[in-house]
Amino acid sequence: MTLDPRITGRFEYGQDQQVEGMLHARILRSPHAHAKVLSINTSEVPQQVVTLTRDDVADLEPLYGPMVKDQPIVARERVLHVGDAVAAVAAGTPREAEEAIALVEVEYEEMPGVFDPVDATGDAAPLLHDGIEIPAELRPDGRNICHRFRLQSGLGQQGFELADVVVEDTFAVAAAAHVAMEPHATLAYWEEGRLHVITGTQTPFNVRRDLAALFRLSEEMIRIVVAPMGGSFGAKTFMRLEPITAALARKARRPVRAVLTRGEEFLTVNRHPARFHIRLGATRDGTFVAKSVDAWWDTGAYADCGPSVCTKGGYAAIGPYRIPNVTVDSRCVYTNLPPAGAFRGYAATQGVWASERVTDLMAGRLEIDPLELRLRNLLRDGDRFATGEVMRDVRFAACLRAAAEAVDWSEGRKNKGLAVMLKGMQTPSRTGVALEIDAGGHILLRSATTDMGQRPDIAQRNLAAEALGLSPDLIAVGPNDTDLVPFDTRTTSSRSTFMMSNAIREAANDLRRKIAERFEVAPEDLVLSDEGAGVAGSPDLSRPLADLAGLRGDGTFVTPGGLDPDTGQGIASSHWHQAAASAEVRVDPETGVTSITRLHTAVYAGNVVDRPGAELQNEGSTIFGIGTALFEGIVFEGGQVTNGNLSDYEIPSILDVPDFTYDLLEGGEHSHGLGEMAVPVVPAAIGNAVAAAGHPVRNLPMSAEAVLGSSTSQGLRRPSSPQGGWEGD
Amino acid sequence: MKIAVQVNNHPVELESRADETLLTAMRRAGFRSVRLTCGIGVCGVCTVLIDGQPISSCLVLAPAAAGAGITTTEGLHDGDPIATAFQELSAFQCGYCTPGFILTTRALLLENPDPADDEIRHALAGNLCRCGSYLKIHQAVRRAAESMRR
Repeated sequence: MTLDPRITGRFEYGQDQQVEGMLHARILRSPHAHAKVLSINTSEVPQQVVTLTRDDVADLEPLYGPMVKDQPIVARERVLHVGDAVAAVAAGTPREAEEAIALVEVEYEEMPGVFDPVDATGDAAPLLHDGIEIPAELRPDGRNICHRFRLQSGLGQQGFELADVVVEDTFAVAAAAHVAMEPHATLAYWEEGRLHVITGTQTPFNVRRDLAALFRLSEEMIRIVVAPMGGSFGAKTFMRLEPITAALARKARRPVRAVLTRGEEFLTVNRHPARFHIRLGATRDGTFVAKSVDAWWDTGAYADCGPSVCTKGGYAAIGPYRIPNVTVDSRCVYTNLPPAGAFRGYAATQGVWASERVTDLMAGRLEIDPLELRLRNLLRDGDRFATGEVMRDVRFAACLRAAAEAVDWSEGRKNKGLAVMLKGMQTPSRTGVALEIDAGGHILLRSATTDMGQRPDIAQRNLAAEALGLSPDLIAVGPNDTDLVPFDTRTTSSRSTFMMSNAIREAANDLRRKIAERFEVAPEDLVLSDEGAGVAGSPDLSRPLADLAGLRGDGTFVTPGGLDPDTGQGIASSHWHQAAASAEVRVDPETGVTSITRLHTAVYAGNVVDRPGAELQNEGSTIFGIGTALFEGIVFEGGQVTNGNLSDYEIPSILDVPDFTYDLLEGGEHSHGLGEMAVPVVPAAIGNAVAAAGHPVRNLPMSAEAVLGSSTSQGLRRPSSPQGGWEGD
Repeated sequence: MKIAVQVNNHPVELESRADETLLTAMRRAGFRSVRLTCGIGVCGVCTVLIDGQPISSCLVLAPAAAGAGITTTEGLHDGDPIATAFQELSAFQCGYCTPGFILTTRALLLENPDPADDEIRHALAGNLCRCGSYLKIHQAVRRAAESMRR
């Protein structure tokens, strides 16, 4: 067995990319959360070091952003968060760059900041952005609100008149850090007016589009080569280091590489802190009749994908339930915190937390078993979700029953909790793929699916092998380069396995047609095997695959959809991510420390295409959920990150991981992504277990202090901490 | 300055300033399995073995390693029982932290050829894997221990 280069450490990530004559970048970042930039003086920087300030990008589009163009390459008149880029340098060595950046002098005039998404919507809050253009499909209704997703179904709020019982509460989820072990890394260079960017990104085609707009070039003048990532978890989506690195390289007329420090990671992109107020109404027999979700998502200084986060989190907080009357008002709000963006569990983590805690509040009020209450109200095949779309291939109950059984739910509910969720997959969405026979007789698979450790090459090779009836050894995955691969929306949203499985099937059919044409036979008479291609019944016509070099099959798969931002009606997802979890805990009454004694997740996997990969994804998701549940939270103080290192911001180690179990529920017609299914349900199940142990927690993470502060004996208190209750419930 | 060390049993001269870390000097010398993550000695990603002991190379100044025998995963050969177990059990995802885990495992198994599950967990507690491959890593360490005892 030849050792995998990931094992020997020879594998090259984004940070390992280099080209001849490359310079090293460093970024000067704002120490203030909100300030005017009065002056920038680079005269002390040595001559041979290239500097970049606002004056150097004046000829470019001023702002970029995947949904709202609101972010400058480097600060213009103001800085909007601690860590906002003000200037950058490129020098011969990283050390020289670090020394040079210290010589840039900036004069600021501090301004008041706002650090809470509810406060930010008030009249007294400073206005983050003035005069930016908000796209027509967004609803910037309110101060500092860049988008407001509203949904109404049935009678809306009036539906509560049908309820015998109404429960409501307020919840908060803290910001979290992605902590990919490899930091962001980007290398850019210009050749004959064409921009080449080698970067660790999940979104090469978004980066190409947005760089083209920013540099006022056609997309053909931009080439993105995707470097494998040492983890991403949503952090390496959309533009991060690409604009500043490309701008530096343009000025330097040399290649430039930028790699973030760990501290900078906490200032670049995090998970949205969120606040919720949720009401749920039911009849006395436990039938849900009305629900309202009010949510505030703190997207920080720049919108990034926040409008999509508030949409997906808005409907995820409805839960996978049949509720005839629903209202959602979900606001994406600017504050002076570092930007928030995509994060494994994409908005469902926050929404499911609030929603599933409320489900248990209702169970408690009605004195109905939380499992029974859920089963009574879960969406079934053919039901309409609150968005109006009809649900198909529904497995919520199967997931939930499997989870409940794993903790012996029927034998007693002491210290146990359950949670179940739906999570949408990015739609509308488009995926292209090509299968090409090369001179060596291999099938070259051309795909834009990016590699962040989720083993996409194995999954895609298996899919292509199955579709063509060949061995996976004959399939090779080509370079991930926008010059060479068909368009794919992006590698996010746990969409790639689903989308690619369909596109690869199309491409395989197309390739079979092309081969059959060469043989001048009908595709059904073609015989394809590892030995070559031939015609049924005519063994003498068989030829090795290498003889067919150059033949190519193309496949495209498109999912339609989208939601109306005013009514929330439409298609939220082409297929649903469905999962449940169960937990049993022990809470130390003296310290508030929660120990997980049992934990199980049950996720709908569909057709598993890479078994070890599927297991790894679900195990990793579960562990992510444990961190979010018990201890992960960024602590801000006046906009400053106070725990921006891996000693103060802890991620789960092997000692934090209890023995846990899981089911991958197979079946159905499709392959599903498994990258995020357990993340949202694990914290909610643990939270419901902690509540069952007498501590009705409302906020994540459930730190020991928060758990003690929430104990039943002290009565219910609303969260008062502006950052989402990290310091106490 | 030049710092003479043995890396994977080969003599290597590390080019370094006196105030640079062993991590920086090793990467400059092309040992890319040695990687920076936290920079403060808590994540274990930059682990190398110095005379058989796992250390965080981000915390050691390069000159302090002069004359040392350093082990990195670049020195792994096909058939290495630990590497084989990690590969067979798919005990990694992105692979960025994997060299650190393999080296920590080597140090553990040389000292304790038959570790109990809890001893494995404690030995690996200083290596973080954000992808969350811990279950399979644990199984790989167990399998490696078995095959090394054979």
